[in-house]
Amino acid sequence: MKLKAEIDGQSLTAQIKVDGARVFAEIDGRSYEIEARVSAPGVHVLALAGRIYECLVDADAARREAFEVHVGTRAFAVELRDEKRLPHGGLGASAQAGGTAQLVAPMPGKVVRVLVEQGAVVEAGDSIVVVEAMKMQNEMKAPRAGTVTMLHAQAGATVKAGEVLAVIE
Amino acid sequence: MFKKILIANRGEIAVRIIRACRDMNISPVAVFSEVDASALHVRLADEAYAVGAAPSVESYLRIDRLLEAARLSGAEAIHPGYGFLAENAAFARAVMEAGLVFIGPTPEAMELMGSKTSARRVAADAGVAVVPGTTEPLQSYEEAREVAAGMSYPVMLKASAGGGGKGMRFVAGEDELLAAFETAQSEAAAAFGNSEVYLEKAVERPRHIEIQIFADQHGNCVHLGERECSIQRRHQKVIEECPSPMNDAALRERMGAAAVSVARAVDYTGAGTIEFLFSDATREFYFLEMNTRLQVEHPVTELVTGIDLVREQLMVASGHALSFKQEDVRWSGHAIECRVYAEDPENNFLPSPGQITRLRVPAGPGVRDDGGVDENTEVSIYYDPMISKLAAWGRTRREAIDRLRRALDEYSVGGIRTTLPFFREIVRDEEFIEGRLDTNFIPRFFERRAATAAATDATVSLTEEETQARDIAVIAAALDYALRQRASTAELSSRSQTEQSHWRLAGRAALQRRS
Repeated sequence: MKLKAEIDGQSLTAQIKVDGARVFAEIDGRSYEIEARVSAPGVHVLALAGRIYECLVDADAARREAFEVHVGTRAFAVELRDEKRLPHGGLGASAQAGGTAQLVAPMPGKVVRVLVEQGAVVEAGDSIVVVEAMKMQNEMKAPRAGTVTMLHAQAGATVKAGEVLAVIE
Repeated sequence: MFKKILIANRGEIAVRIIRACRDMNISPVAVFSEVDASALHVRLADEAYAVGAAPSVESYLRIDRLLEAARLSGAEAIHPGYGFLAENAAFARAVMEAGLVFIGPTPEAMELMGSKTSARRVAADAGVAVVPGTTEPLQSYEEAREVAAGMSYPVMLKASAGGGGKGMRFVAGEDELLAAFETAQSEAAAAFGNSEVYLEKAVERPRHIEIQIFADQHGNCVHLGERECSIQRRHQKVIEECPSPMNDAALRERMGAAAVSVARAVDYTGAGTIEFLFSDATREFYFLEMNTRLQVEHPVTELVTGIDLVREQLMVASGHALSFKQEDVRWSGHAIECRVYAEDPENNFLPSPGQITRLRVPAGPGVRDDGGVDENTEVSIYYDPMISKLAAWGRTRREAIDRLRRALDEYSVGGIRTTLPFFREIVRDEEFIEGRLDTNFIPRFFERRAATAAATDATVSLTEEETQARDIAVIAAALDYALRQRASTAELSSRSQTEQSHWRLAGRAALQRRS
């Protein structure tokens, strides 16, 4: 299995061979011989020369090549690209394009207030909308200065995580 | 003693109260909203009744439905927990009118202490110092502007019916006042159904210290010492400890006596907490408010005094005298609690609802976890994001921190983000270990953290151990990915096999018909 991995803002090349519980891995030229076992779905116990790493792997619900991996108490976001299977261009897609920035709901909730109007000129950090989730009101702030060219948020509306609330150009 | 009580709450506090019921051979009755039908607190109860849809105004805040559940179950008393209706005098009154016992103070005491403005008057009349500020709710933004200018910035906007940091805003200058005023009002209206707010002078670098009090119906009123709750984020307590790291017996006596005199002034009964702001510079303390309920952070007091506060609440509510006197209260060792929230500390503490895919709760010497979830629990967007409270006890504060650090590292929650990584850093922070606490601890902690990050040259390569952990993460992700690929391929082929065998069966049937 040959993969490209994006982790901590770095691109790594990974070559992995599995033979039963034995795993031979080469990450950017570093070689590892590991004993790997799965103790429960998503729980991988990796032993490297006696050192035990308990790895909890959560796959992203939407993108099967994106993972959150906990190694002990450390958390990593890992994106894989399997050149054989995955379409190209899936890596590192950005919400920002050209001179526009999108204000995206980071969690599901309810829009309680919209603080600007379409066409308003805003500074970076200005509050645009207030989204309530888990009893706390969270002010969603402009990621950059510019003009609010699109305003999708409506007071009282329920929003999903990832929904675009406003576009600033 | 009661034979059956209804718990008008959910989550960890419902579970905590069920545990006290079990200790006392009382049958616990749960209530649940649509999304909580199979929640942990429901499964641990003897009986459970549906009270409505997911939003709490349609379920856990529906007094009529809670009383109906109590009637159906034959419960003799209702424990409100904290939050929801715990400090709602109308609820307490409705419970009493239904011929049941409300496990808490009288509605009159709740009303007097429930409004922060009238509570300040009670405290002042009892001879306890209060933070300078308005005693009446503000009528308008203009009034707020005048009052704030009069007492000089910074000021604090607070909800009259407040609690839990909701409807509370720190205002550094007049330019921030309008936005803060509106947000505080609407947050207060949403959280408490009452948009009244008032102003207080903000005390600089204060410690937040509260006194646990307990009173029965026979005239006994005692205090169980202090909890220090200075570590707050957005005015929400995140770490609490007992005793305060100052651990000053004379101060405890002074504050305890002040708290008892406030409680006596309203003929208080049951468990209550008097919150004070404490100035390190002057060693003075000011009454802030009284919480007329069991507090979230009650376990640290329990760990240090050995007194089960919920058990005592049930005893007192059923008419018994307190099981201890002031001179019986002993403080032994030190306890620290962390509130574990479904929030992402790496992403400005945004709520992180979702399903808990894996859960390992720490245990071992000196560790106590009060949780309200288990594996597969869906952390809903409708309620408070607290999933558990992790507390550690040690003979000294240092030993408690050692155990807390161990327990935090052992704790593992999959599927959602939690504040555990944040706590793991805090218990390793020098200022925290030294006990130099005040309510600005967290902002300063983040400044220290940012300074450390800036001082660390990004081009310096990772240590061997860090590189290895990162590589291991990539390998684990790849192994998991490969397993999933294989599983989905296997599923596809098994599906086609099933289709094939159906096809074969159908073919055979057709053949048989023909013959």
